[in-house]
Amino acid sequence: MSDDVAIKTENLTKAYRSFWGRKNVLALNKLNIVIRKGEIFGLLGPNGSGKTTTLKLLLGLIFPTEGSAHVLGKTTDDVTVKNRLGFLPEESCFYRFLNADETLDFYGQLFSIPGKERKLRTNRLLNRVGLEFARKRPLKQYSKGMLRRIGIAQALINDPDLIILDEPTSGLDPIGTRETKDLILELKSQGKTVLLCSHLLSDVQDICDRVAIIDKGELQILGTIGELLASKDIVELLVRNLSKGALMEVERFIQEKQGDVISIKNSSGTLEDLFLKIYAANISNSKADV
Amino acid sequence: MQQILVIAKQTFKEAVRNKILFILIILGVITICSSAFMPVVGDGREKIKIVESMCFRSITFFGTLAAILLSASSIPTDIDNKVLCTITAKPVQRTNIIFGKIIGFVYIIGVLLLIMGSVSYLLIRYTALKQSTQDSSVLLARKAFGPVNLQITGDSARRIGNVTWTEGGGKGASVWKFKGLSSKDKNDNLAIEADFLIEGKKRSTGKIPVKIKIINPYSARVLTESMEISRNKPLLLRLNGKSLDGSAELTVVVSPENSGDFLGVRADDLRIFWGEKSFGCNYLKGLTIISTQFLLMVVIAVLGSTFLSLPVNILFCLFVFFCGSITDFMRDLSTVINVFETREHEHVVSEVMQKSNVLLVCLNNIIKKPILLLSYILPDFRYYSVGKYFVDGINIPCKRIFMGFGYAVLYALVCLPVSFLVFKRKEIA
Repeated sequence: MSDDVAIKTENLTKAYRSFWGRKNVLALNKLNIVIRKGEIFGLLGPNGSGKTTTLKLLLGLIFPTEGSAHVLGKTTDDVTVKNRLGFLPEESCFYRFLNADETLDFYGQLFSIPGKERKLRTNRLLNRVGLEFARKRPLKQYSKGMLRRIGIAQALINDPDLIILDEPTSGLDPIGTRETKDLILELKSQGKTVLLCSHLLSDVQDICDRVAIIDKGELQILGTIGELLASKDIVELLVRNLSKGALMEVERFIQEKQGDVISIKNSSGTLEDLFLKIYAANISNSKADV
Repeated sequence: MQQILVIAKQTFKEAVRNKILFILIILGVITICSSAFMPVVGDGREKIKIVESMCFRSITFFGTLAAILLSASSIPTDIDNKVLCTITAKPVQRTNIIFGKIIGFVYIIGVLLLIMGSVSYLLIRYTALKQSTQDSSVLLARKAFGPVNLQITGDSARRIGNVTWTEGGGKGASVWKFKGLSSKDKNDNLAIEADFLIEGKKRSTGKIPVKIKIINPYSARVLTESMEISRNKPLLLRLNGKSLDGSAELTVVVSPENSGDFLGVRADDLRIFWGEKSFGCNYLKGLTIISTQFLLMVVIAVLGSTFLSLPVNILFCLFVFFCGSITDFMRDLSTVINVFETREHEHVVSEVMQKSNVLLVCLNNIIKKPILLLSYILPDFRYYSVGKYFVDGINIPCKRIFMGFGYAVLYALVCLPVSFLVFKRKEIA
């Protein structure tokens, strides 16, 4: 396996069997993917397509029926590789009676991180995920979004080289979503590899370098966002401060050159951008009032 | 090792914050305390014995229940809550998870024993304090000595089951030999207790006269006593420790005086009590044995939790505990089926009756054999029954603790590798 490969699967197959040992559900069928180090890789697919099964197979939580997977150069049953892994499960499930500090301390101890270092990392991560204000509150009092944030923090407690995130933005508000996306991009800038699995396409499109779409356990398509979304016969022209006359001239010019104008409209942006704009304005207003 | 301790600590914390443990401890303490208000027919000695018995029964019952409920539920709950998903995604060997859980439960059992044991001890002491000095002496643990061997002399002896019958009138005698007798206070009361079966010429009286010879092989001194033994009443003979003349050996010969009277004996029917130990020491030994039973139950519950769902595992553990406590009864039951079958075969039966033996064959294969097999596979919890030592005021021999511990270790050596193997291949979905 090449040095720049973080994850490689070969004919990775998982079939769930019934009580009588018969193959009941083929959750994953001969999956072959290679994820390079330092990239953000998105695994897309509808519910029940086999995304979470793939992640669990990579983490050694479940075992393949056929095929194999290598993570950071080691097989999935090698526990030592998990020292370099961070994992955020689909549902943030932790000991509910522990508070944020205790939770991160518990997971830190599982990595045998020394006490002082654990404390430093806990402080830094709680600050990073915006949970400092609730660090002494038991997790059972946390909202879904807060649980997601503590989940992300525990996934990063060991400063991993490869981070596997299952639906990282599920349950988060738009601000949390943006912060998480920023965090993922920051991790990439630190040279870390991120494998994220989501069915929120916009999130994946915003941050992923490459994506794979799987459905009914089978790989449908794999490539960079640019490659997959590019339409070779359609050109998008974004222009600012263009007068109405100039716009008509551009349209006439295109028609002269045998091009078809599909639509001309003002750029609308995204709902997320609008929400963040309003939120930022409110914050600056309240600061001005103070 | 650090990971094991981290998981153990977490398991302990989880259990402490779990209401079940507190409810069981509170119920246990209430039951223990309520024994002080139990109406008693008899003297102060009976009162103390009842409190002792209730205390040990409560500790055993609530402790076992806590061990089963907590250890049977921990892994299945962690899987259901998906907490185990995040733990196994860390560099933790699955065997460490099992070890960690078990050590966590050991902490829990320690706390439970400390609370319930302390309350019991104080209550027993308090109850004894309220009684007269003579009555409260029932707390002292008498050192019991079992015979090295039993010899039957005479030609008339007949063996039925595990009981040997000897006839009186000089036709036979039972000879018990004791070795290794020792006591710090050589003047202590030395008591011989026996529980024999009798069959007399005069059935109506229910008594037979017997001659008891106590021979000191060291000084060749012989002490002869004539007594009447009643049916259903243990024989008790008190001597002075001085009669041993410093010897550690003693021979006791018992024979019915009259011809036609029969004495039925077994090797462990006669015991010598000599010397006493403090109640506190005996109490600690009792708690140690009970804690070993809890440990054994934890190991079995953890084994079940690696492949069974929570409700099924709790039922499985309760079944193991229940059947393990009645292994004798199970073996007796299988013998009863056997006797029934033998008798049917012994008689000359008609063809129609022979056909009905299909039922007996089924009974044999479906009930008798599995019951017998279960009685040998399941742990025998009689090793951990200490209540009778306290009720009879007998010192628990250290051998008993080692036997109980050894038995638990043996079981753990079988259960733990199976748990590791199953859990290693378990899918944490």
